[in-house]
Amino acid sequence: MNILSVVTLFPLLGVLALALIPKTNTYQIKIVALGTSVVTMVLSFVMAIQYKSPASGFAFVTSHAWVSSFHINYALGIDGLALVLILLTTVLVPIVVLGGWNESEGGRWSVKTFYMLILVLETFMIGVFAATDVFLFYVIFEAMLVPVYFLIGGFGTGERAAAALKFLLYSLFGGLLMLAAVIGIYIISAQQVIGSFDVSALSHLSIDHTTQNWLFLGFFIAFAIKAPLWPFHTWLPGAAKAATPGTSILLLGVLDKVGTYGMIRFCLTLFPDATKTFAPYIIVLSVISIIYGAFLAIGQKNINSLIAFTSISHFGFITLGIFAYTSQGLTGATLYMVNHGFSTAALFLVGGWMVSRRKSAAIEDFGGLQRVTPIMAWMFFIAGLSALALPGLSSFVSEFLVLLGTFTRYPVAAIIGTLGIVLAALYVLILVQRSLHGPLKSGNESMSDLNLREKIAIAPVIAALVILGFYPKPAIHIINPSTTSTMSQMNVSDPHVLAGK
Amino acid sequence: MPTLNYSQLAPILIVLGGALLGVLVEAFLGKKQRGPVQIVLALGTLALSFVWLLRIRNDVSATAAMGSVATDGFGIFLQGAVLVLAFLALLLIADNDHFAPAASALPGSEEEAQALLSGTRTTEVFPLTLFAVAGMMLFPIATDFITLFVALEVLSLPLYIMTGLSRRRRLLSQEAALKYFLLGAYSSAFFLFGIAFLYGYSGTLSLTDVGTANIFSVGSPAFLYIGMVFLTIGLLFKVGAVPFHSWTPDVYQGAPTPITGFMAACTKIAAFGALLRIFYGAFFLMQFQWKPFLTTISIITMVLGAIAAMSQRDIKRTLAYSSITHAGFLLAGVVALNKDGLAASMFYLVAYGFATVGAFGIVTLVRDSSGEVTDLSKWAGLAKKSPLVSVAMAIFLLSFGGVPLTSGFISKFSIFTAAYQSGNIAIVVVGVLSSAIALFFYLRVVLMLFFQEAPTDGVSVVIPSIMTRIAIGVCAVMTLILGVYPSLLLNLVNTMATLVH
Amino acid sequence: MRTSSLLVYLIALPLFSSALLLLLGRIADKWGHILATLITASTFVIGAYEFMKMQGQAGESRAVTQKLFEWISVGSLKVNASLLLDQLSICFVLLITGVGTLIHIYSIAYMSHDKDRRRFFAFLNLFIAAMLLLVLGDSYLNLYVGWEGVGLASYLLIGFWNHNPTYAVASKKAFVANRVGDVGLSLAIMICFAQFGTVSFEGVKAGAHGASSAALAGIGAMLLLAACGKSAQFPLQSWLGDAMAGPTPVSALIHAATMVTAGVYLISRSNFIFDASSTARLLVVIVGAITLLFGAIIGTAKDDIKKALAASTMSQIGYMILATGLGPIGYAFAILHLLTHGFFKAGMFLGAGSVMHGMDDEVNMRKYGGLAKLMPITAVTFGLGYLAILGVPPFAGFYSKDKIIEVAFNAGGLKGILLGGAALLGAAITAFYMTRVMVMTFIGARRWKAGSHPHESPILMTLPMILLAFGSVASGFLLSKGSALVHWLEPVVNSQNVEEGKPLMPALTVSLLALGVVVIGAAFAIIKYRTVSDVAPENVSEFTKAARKDLYQDILNDRLLVAPGTLLTAGLVRADDRVIDGGVRFVGSFLGATSDALRKVQNGFVRSYALLMLAGLVITVIAVWVIGA
Repeated sequence: MNILSVVTLFPLLGVLALALIPKTNTYQIKIVALGTSVVTMVLSFVMAIQYKSPASGFAFVTSHAWVSSFHINYALGIDGLALVLILLTTVLVPIVVLGGWNESEGGRWSVKTFYMLILVLETFMIGVFAATDVFLFYVIFEAMLVPVYFLIGGFGTGERAAAALKFLLYSLFGGLLMLAAVIGIYIISAQQVIGSFDVSALSHLSIDHTTQNWLFLGFFIAFAIKAPLWPFHTWLPGAAKAATPGTSILLLGVLDKVGTYGMIRFCLTLFPDATKTFAPYIIVLSVISIIYGAFLAIGQKNINSLIAFTSISHFGFITLGIFAYTSQGLTGATLYMVNHGFSTAALFLVGGWMVSRRKSAAIEDFGGLQRVTPIMAWMFFIAGLSALALPGLSSFVSEFLVLLGTFTRYPVAAIIGTLGIVLAALYVLILVQRSLHGPLKSGNESMSDLNLREKIAIAPVIAALVILGFYPKPAIHIINPSTTSTMSQMNVSDPHVLAGK
Repeated sequence: MPTLNYSQLAPILIVLGGALLGVLVEAFLGKKQRGPVQIVLALGTLALSFVWLLRIRNDVSATAAMGSVATDGFGIFLQGAVLVLAFLALLLIADNDHFAPAASALPGSEEEAQALLSGTRTTEVFPLTLFAVAGMMLFPIATDFITLFVALEVLSLPLYIMTGLSRRRRLLSQEAALKYFLLGAYSSAFFLFGIAFLYGYSGTLSLTDVGTANIFSVGSPAFLYIGMVFLTIGLLFKVGAVPFHSWTPDVYQGAPTPITGFMAACTKIAAFGALLRIFYGAFFLMQFQWKPFLTTISIITMVLGAIAAMSQRDIKRTLAYSSITHAGFLLAGVVALNKDGLAASMFYLVAYGFATVGAFGIVTLVRDSSGEVTDLSKWAGLAKKSPLVSVAMAIFLLSFGGVPLTSGFISKFSIFTAAYQSGNIAIVVVGVLSSAIALFFYLRVVLMLFFQEAPTDGVSVVIPSIMTRIAIGVCAVMTLILGVYPSLLLNLVNTMATLVH
Repeated sequence: MRTSSLLVYLIALPLFSSALLLLLGRIADKWGHILATLITASTFVIGAYEFMKMQGQAGESRAVTQKLFEWISVGSLKVNASLLLDQLSICFVLLITGVGTLIHIYSIAYMSHDKDRRRFFAFLNLFIAAMLLLVLGDSYLNLYVGWEGVGLASYLLIGFWNHNPTYAVASKKAFVANRVGDVGLSLAIMICFAQFGTVSFEGVKAGAHGASSAALAGIGAMLLLAACGKSAQFPLQSWLGDAMAGPTPVSALIHAATMVTAGVYLISRSNFIFDASSTARLLVVIVGAITLLFGAIIGTAKDDIKKALAASTMSQIGYMILATGLGPIGYAFAILHLLTHGFFKAGMFLGAGSVMHGMDDEVNMRKYGGLAKLMPITAVTFGLGYLAILGVPPFAGFYSKDKIIEVAFNAGGLKGILLGGAALLGAAITAFYMTRVMVMTFIGARRWKAGSHPHESPILMTLPMILLAFGSVASGFLLSKGSALVHWLEPVVNSQNVEEGKPLMPALTVSLLALGVVVIGAAFAIIKYRTVSDVAPENVSEFTKAARKDLYQDILNDRLLVAPGTLLTAGLVRADDRVIDGGVRFVGSFLGATSDALRKVQNGFVRSYALLMLAGLVITVIAVWVIGA
């Protein structure tokens, strides 16, 4: 069994272990969950160390027949793109477990259920990035909704049931459109060579333009809903508002990345011509997302929905970079996925702690936290700075790469997108000013600062933001090859330098 | 001297024999013994018949009874499917609570009360079931119109009676029985009429010869068209396709729940078996005439079934509409008209059968003082009281909805694949969209079960009898296994998907 | 090019100490300020050492670099984290570290009563690090990091007392205004990359001549926008006044001497762009001219001593920007004025701080008066700075400002007359409002609040003031002796190939003219402010009212940006729910309605069911027939 499969399936061991522990000793359950996720993280690090970017295709490839009559395989393999996202996942899960130590309590079901769902979800999240068989990808893509559905509906707050249902319906609807496309490309492969779901094999098909366009849309809409891209975004704020911070982190930090990941892995490489056809329109949607998300973030009164809208703005940047399909755009977008994962995690973690202490998520209820809980305030501030992409923090590198890469192909879009950085400054600093600065609002006096567990949980996130900001080379070094291969599969190259030489 | 090839017919003969024995049991055994004996007898008969089926499963291209039945792979597979599902359904039927003690007695009358006191049981239901099973086994293998008609009536008549046997809400039950009988007779008339026209057109009663007849185009095509349509409509009535579906909700609701399960699962198999055999065989060459209208009916059925289900407040009616929608999907397999379509339909019928029997099995368990509670609002928050039952129900519903890792998903996938392959993309797109609509009401039920607070006048889940437990358990397990590792069945259907003409 | 391994320490040391002070927390309260000050001093030593080494070299080989590591490398974009110390940046390094050290020392005493002094010094060091990165980065992207870094430091320091809501708002305003400028810088970098495939100064310089004039103008305009944000130039000037919310040493260091001059650095550094684009140059001089008058006018009506000085800063930087727009020779004088201004303005701010210190944080000059006797050192040092900014010979300002006015006149034609005239007028107004400040604060009747006991500040505060005063006196003379600075900067801003057009009037005339207007302005102020009421009079000219309201800059911003933005936001929030989500909900309710309608059809009557079947049958038969035939 190769290490990739081990990393993917290891969390399930934890699920089995949890199944054996009685509901009542919650502490034991949490420890086991934490332990499992930490071991998974370590394993993924081991894998990352062994990883060498393959000349073509994927590394750590493994394939077993699953549904032979449809040529469906349990086929795993990773390139740089998948690797960084898997690492993001395996790092975030233990942080979520540690950071949200108590959020599993007071849910509709037992703590045990919560962590079983989390660990099942982790396997799905790793698997969805590792799958090189389109059918396998699709199955996980859909199946991973179920644990999230129960996490939101079972352990969230407020309108949790409705939010969970909305989330599930949106995603499943997109998924069904994608299913039609998946079937379509399978049939085409069957007609041209032999029926196959292997992504590299499918990328060699020659599909006529109209068909490409339809199949592209099938995939793209599913991913656009997932990402979410304007105007498919309306499920996100509700979900983020209702979900526990930990769930939100996994939802916005990792699950939504499946959308943007899918755009690169499937839309660009399987349907290059259709991509070129639709890119301008998608660029427009992305720019709208950036500006629209930012404005709505400014207009929010609830911390969680504010963070959700900032993410919509950030996903706009990611799709912008992807569909500019320049090397800076693609690498930037990929790096952006990772950085956004960390910065959103930071925001939701600290935001969650603030909310759980104040027993309210309304921004107006906070004020002057800098005085009472300086450390928490600082962490929130730094998280905010990463959200506005301050140079020196990782998100700057990715955001700038995206804009730079976009400018060379779509200057106007890049210019409008750049205005987003002003709005970003606004929505972050307004939030910071209202919640952290000013005189101490009543109700916040007795708030306690971060405890050791919370400090341990947030430290690695902040560290990642800073280190990747000053020294992104390791990440970029991993990502670049898959960017190159994506562009060669599309057979496009960067626009030429205009002046000089 | 006609040869009958008894060994080919044996499975059916065994079931008929068992049924006759059952009648004798009714005549000669005392009240007390009848129940147990009938149960053992019925189950035994089905088991024996199945064993025999296994013996003959390999000579898959044989005709018997002077070519009036064809025991090909397709036929044998469906016969086996009927037997297995009937067996599971019988386990539900055996739970003695569902049937009126004295069906002849007026509801609420003196003698009914007495019968109740004297502990009378309607054990006739067992021989009736066996007769119906025999008909269902004959229906899909019949290759001439007379046999086909006989089989149709043999399977229908017992069902009319069984529908009226409900112990509670007997008026509703009897009304349903009458409706079912009247409309059934109505459609049988069409069926017979169609046979007459076809005979007038081709001068033969054998499916094969009708198929070839039009090459030499004897008789006027008008006869052919009218005959074809009338015959088809007789069958579409049985499968509950729009606009011949109206009986389904009322009958499903009125009939004793175990019978509904039995009907929904086994009748569909029998009827689609016949449909597939006729359209893949006899009418194959006339496909240009019937394909458009069958496609249309398939589409209408999918869409209207799904939409109509949205506003249902009664679980049994909801499941009725769901079965209508599924009839629509199955018709997509019929119009695909290729080997994959045949195999896909076979898989679909079995997968759907397991889920259906299981789902109705669970409906039998949810009761209050006045018996079964089918009003959905009463089901709210069931997961709190009885998680296992709710999880099982969720599995069945997700399978109906075609969520990955359940058998329903593979069914949909293979049907759509076949349809796409036959170039019938319209059906795929509509199918995808209507499953999106359908998902809504399946998920609404899941949401009720898990995320809503139980009403004060809540319902309770009775402790299932061992037999019911086995039935539901087997169905749930099969639904999951066929979803996770479908090859088990897919490989089988691929080898068995052979028709003799 | 020579390399030096020392450069990195210029940034690393203050950065490290800043991080240390923040992470250690209260433990470092005892000695945090000492460490921070020593660190800054050590950076000055490093700077001085590098300066020495430079002078040992010939003009072209003076620049030194240090490559730290590969920062970003994607496709053709290759950006190293590497530093460049040349004749231009050394000027800033010495100014930043030198003045920085003095102000650190000053702050030890000034902040001694604040319980967060450690945090204050941590921020100061953060600023030093960021500012040095800004001037040492060898590519626009590295510069950008420092650029936003100083923005952050400034945000943190303006909002140092952010429990006061207005201060918190002021810091936010500053950051956002700067962000608008940063958009310009980002876009400039993007155009550079699209045009030249590189973002390093060297690369862009090499390619500049090959680029289209439109592209160059675009880059220039965007760089100017960036400069406007950082250097509080028109139309992004409005944040500087509010920025005075920060502790006075911050105003002295960041909002007078160093950070706000970053715009001048950016333009001088990008001389190869502006030399190649007359359009860009024109924009620069326009902005410069407007701002120098704008600031000066605001200055005349401010009663808050710090705001008066802030307005003056804005105006003086206007002079520098104007100079940078006047071609190669201008850069040298811009930098010259930047350095002299660094000394005298920092000195005066520290003086203001010292006064506030003595008057228990009173900033309203109408509550001052006659402080000269009680605060002699402050008064003298402030006075020397005053003479310098007026440009009275032989004080520092005379050498720098007069040159700018002269060059402005020499721009030639109407342009020259307009610019020169503006500069001259600015000088006159400067003389007026600075005299006003001088008189209201140190001379005349005592208008103090009851119970205030003005006193001279401790040595730790006065010492920096004295040292800076030396600068105010001598720096101009020293730097322009034998036009030292001009020659020093030659290799960077290639000011040797200046086409010496026929000057409008000889230099001496300009100087006399300037001196004349200054005397008039000053005299006017002395006469007007012989007596000052301790409350601002209401019955004043519209002109004064406008000046008091900063020429309505904030009202304008509100009307043009804030109000529409707020409306738009509210509108979008509603639209998101009603239109987009509403659309989805509509589909749902539509299906629901259809479903209910279908329920009606299902009426339970066998007859209607049968009828439905029959209808279906008939339609089907007809359909098949039609298709068949």
